[in-house]
Amino acid sequence: MSHKIRIIILSILLILIFLFFYKVLLSEKTYQPRSMIGKSVPEFSMENFKDINRRITNQDFSTKEIVVLNFWASWCVPCRIEHPMLNELKKKYKLFLVGINYKDNASNAKKFLNELGDPFDAIGSDSKGEVAIHFGAYGIPETYVIKKNKIVFRHIGPLNQDVVKAIVALK
Amino acid sequence: MIGTFGNSSLIIALLLNFYLLFSYSLNFFKKKNNFQKVRYLNFLVTVFVFLAFILLLWSFAISDFSNTAVYQNSHSQKPLFYKISGSWGNHEGSMVLFILILAIFSSLFSFSGVRDNLKYLTIFFQNILILFFLIFLIFTSNPFDVIRPTPAEGLGLNPILQDPLLSIHPPFLYVGYVGFSIIFSFALAGLYLEEFTKLWSKQASLWIVIAWTFLTVGIGLGSIWAYYELGWGGFWFWDPVENASLVPWLASTALLHSNITSMKTEKFFSWTALLAILTFTTSLLGTFLVRSGILNSVHAFANDPDRGLYILAVIMIISFFAFLIFILKFPKSPMPNVLIFWSRGSFILINNCFMIFFLVVVMVGTLYPIFLDALFEKSISVGPNYYNALLAPFVIVLLWFMAHGPLLEWYKFNKQSLIKAILQISFLTLVSSIIIFFYLKDFSLLLFLGVFFSIYLIIAVIIDVFKQKIISKNLARNISHFGFGILVFSIFINAYLSKEINVPIKVGQTIKQNAIEIQFKNILKSQGKNFEEIIGNFLIKDGTRAFELSPSLRKYLQPVQVTSETSIKSTLFGDYYLAINLSEFEGDKIMIRFYHKPLMLWIWISISLIIFGGLIRIFRKQNES
Repeated sequence: MSHKIRIIILSILLILIFLFFYKVLLSEKTYQPRSMIGKSVPEFSMENFKDINRRITNQDFSTKEIVVLNFWASWCVPCRIEHPMLNELKKKYKLFLVGINYKDNASNAKKFLNELGDPFDAIGSDSKGEVAIHFGAYGIPETYVIKKNKIVFRHIGPLNQDVVKAIVALK
Repeated sequence: MIGTFGNSSLIIALLLNFYLLFSYSLNFFKKKNNFQKVRYLNFLVTVFVFLAFILLLWSFAISDFSNTAVYQNSHSQKPLFYKISGSWGNHEGSMVLFILILAIFSSLFSFSGVRDNLKYLTIFFQNILILFFLIFLIFTSNPFDVIRPTPAEGLGLNPILQDPLLSIHPPFLYVGYVGFSIIFSFALAGLYLEEFTKLWSKQASLWIVIAWTFLTVGIGLGSIWAYYELGWGGFWFWDPVENASLVPWLASTALLHSNITSMKTEKFFSWTALLAILTFTTSLLGTFLVRSGILNSVHAFANDPDRGLYILAVIMIISFFAFLIFILKFPKSPMPNVLIFWSRGSFILINNCFMIFFLVVVMVGTLYPIFLDALFEKSISVGPNYYNALLAPFVIVLLWFMAHGPLLEWYKFNKQSLIKAILQISFLTLVSSIIIFFYLKDFSLLLFLGVFFSIYLIIAVIIDVFKQKIISKNLARNISHFGFGILVFSIFINAYLSKEINVPIKVGQTIKQNAIEIQFKNILKSQGKNFEEIIGNFLIKDGTRAFELSPSLRKYLQPVQVTSETSIKSTLFGDYYLAINLSEFEGDKIMIRFYHKPLMLWIWISISLIIFGGLIRIFRKQNES
C-alpha cells in the first residue's frame, strides 16, 4: 500500500470518528430548554416502574390539583443531593409526586430508591429520554410543578430549600 | 487578587510556550543544535503552570468565593483536606492539573540521557500538547473566573465525593494518563528522526513503567472507593468512566510488553510505536468522553458540548499528525519480523493480541450504546454480562500464555523443557485445585477453569523464581505476574461465591440465615465536623466467628444530604459488609443489606503486588534482564 492510500484511509477514518462524536455532541442539544411555563402538560405514555402491567400517561394526573414531576436517574449524582428534599415534599407537605426515571437501568434505580427512600406516588420509565424531550427538559435532575394540567413552575438542577419553599407556596 | 495572579501566570506560561515552539523551530530549520534556550523555556513553562496551580489550591484553601470555581465547588465549613482536593474535583481545576503534569513530564524528560536532537524534538512535541490544552484552559474553562459581588458562602461539594480515596485517585490517574504523553512525544520524535531502535526502547521503558504504575494505582484507588463508598457491594461496575481508564491501561500493558520484545529481539518496532501512539490517544479519548458529558455515569461532569467539541477537534488533529508521522516514517526493524512460535517474544505478542481484543471489547461496550443512541435513537444497555461473557474465557487463555512466556527462551526452543514445565505445573495446579474445590464445595465449569488457570500462573511464577540463581532477578515481573494470578483467582471466587441478605430488622431482634446470624443491638448518635450521625450496632455471627459491625446514616449540612456509611469487617478469607438503607423504616424496623464477599482483601493485595512490581521496575532498573 502506498503512503497516499494509507493517508487517505487515515483521513477518512478520523473524519468518520469526528463526525460520529460531533453528532453525539450535537444530539445533546436536542434537549435544549423550551419554555413550557403556562403550557399544558405534553402528552406522554410510559412504562410504569412500579406496576409493569399498567402504563403511566398524562391523563392519570389531569384531575389532580397539584403535581410535582421530577426527572431523575440513579447515575446522576446531583439527584442524590436533592433526594432528601423530595422526601420532604412528600412527607412534610403531602404533595403528589411523579418521578420520571430518565435513561436508567431498572435494578440500579431500585437500589437508589431502596437506599435513599421512595417519595414518589408514581414512577414512569423514560428509558429513551423521549418524555424528557416532550417536556423540553434541559438535563437531570429537573423538576416541574403542574397545576390543573398546566405547567406553572420549573426548576433546572438539584432542588434546594429555597426551591422547596417556592414549590410549597404554589399549593 | 489571587485570580489576577493566577490568570497572569497562565498567560505567561502560554507566551513562554509560544516562544519555546518558535525558538525550537528556528533552530530546527537553521539546523543548529543550540538547545539551551529551549531547555530554560521548558522549565519556565512548568514553573508558571505550577504557580497557577498553587494559586488555585490557595484560593480553595482560603475559600475565596470570588473565584467561580471555588464558589461552585467549595464551602467554608468543609475540612481543609477536602477544600484542597476540591480544587481538582471539578472541570477547570482538573484541566490545570492535566497541563501541570504535561509540563512536569516535559521538564523531567530534559534530564534523561537521551541524545540532544531526539530529546528536544520530544520536548517540542510535548509543548505542542501543552499549547493546545493551555488555549483550551484559558479560553473555555478558566479556573480564575471572577464572580461579582463576592458570594458569602460556596455551594459545597457532594458529600459522597468527600472521601480521602476519591480525593487522591484523580491525581494518580492523571499522572498515568498524561504520563503517556511523554512516551507519545518521544515515539513521534523517534519516528521522525528515524531513531526508533533498540536504544529508543531501552530509554522509553522507564517512562512507560512510571506512567503505567500510576495509572494502575489510580484505577485501583477508584475501585477501592467504589467498594467502600458507593455501598453496592462491588468493586468494578463497568461504568463508562471506569472503562475509559481501563482502555489506556490495556493499551499500555500491551505497550509495556511489546517494548520489552522490541528491546530484546530488535523486532516489531512498528507495533511498539503504534501502541505508544494508541495509548496516549485512548487516554485523550477517555478525557474527552468524561469532560464532554457524553457519558452518563456517577462521574459525569456538567454537559458542555462546546468544551467537548474543542477537545474532540484537538484529539483529531493530534491523532492525524501522529499517525501521519507513523505512516511516513514507518519504522523498519533491522531484523525480519519473524519469531519462533515457541519463544518468549511470540508469547508476549500473542498476549498483546489478547490485550487489544480486551481493549476492543471494552471500547465497543462503552461506545456502541452511544453510537446506537446517536444514529438510530435506539437505547440499549451493556452490562456486566456482556463483559464477563466476552472477557472471562479469553482471560483464561491469556493466563496460560502468561505462565509459559517467561519460562521460554527468546531465540531458541527446547521442547523437552516445555513439556516438563507443562507437566510439572499442571500436576501441582491440579492438586491445589482439588484441595480448593474440596473446601469450597461449589462447582461450575467456568469457575473451575478460572481457578485452575490462575493457580497455574501462580505456580509457574513460583517455579520461575526458584529457577533463578538470584531471587532479585526478574523480581518486578514475577511480583506483578504473581499479583495478576491472585487477582484473577480472587475475582473468580468473589464473583461466584458472594452472598447477600436483605431484611427488615428492629432493635433487639436477631435474624438467622444459613450459618449467618445478625443481631441488632442498639442505636447511638454522634456529631462529626460537618455532619450528624446515627450509628446502628450489630453483632454478627458466622459459625464460630463473632464480631460487631456499626453502619451509620450521616446527615451532611451543606448541601443537606443523607448518606449511608457501610461498616466492613475484613478477614483473610472474606469481607462482611453491612449497610442501612436510607428509606424503608417499616414502623420500628429498618432495612439492612448484608454481604459476604470472599477474598476481597486479596483483590486489594493483588493489585498492590502488581503496583509493587511496577515500583521495583522503576527503582531497580539495572537488575532486570
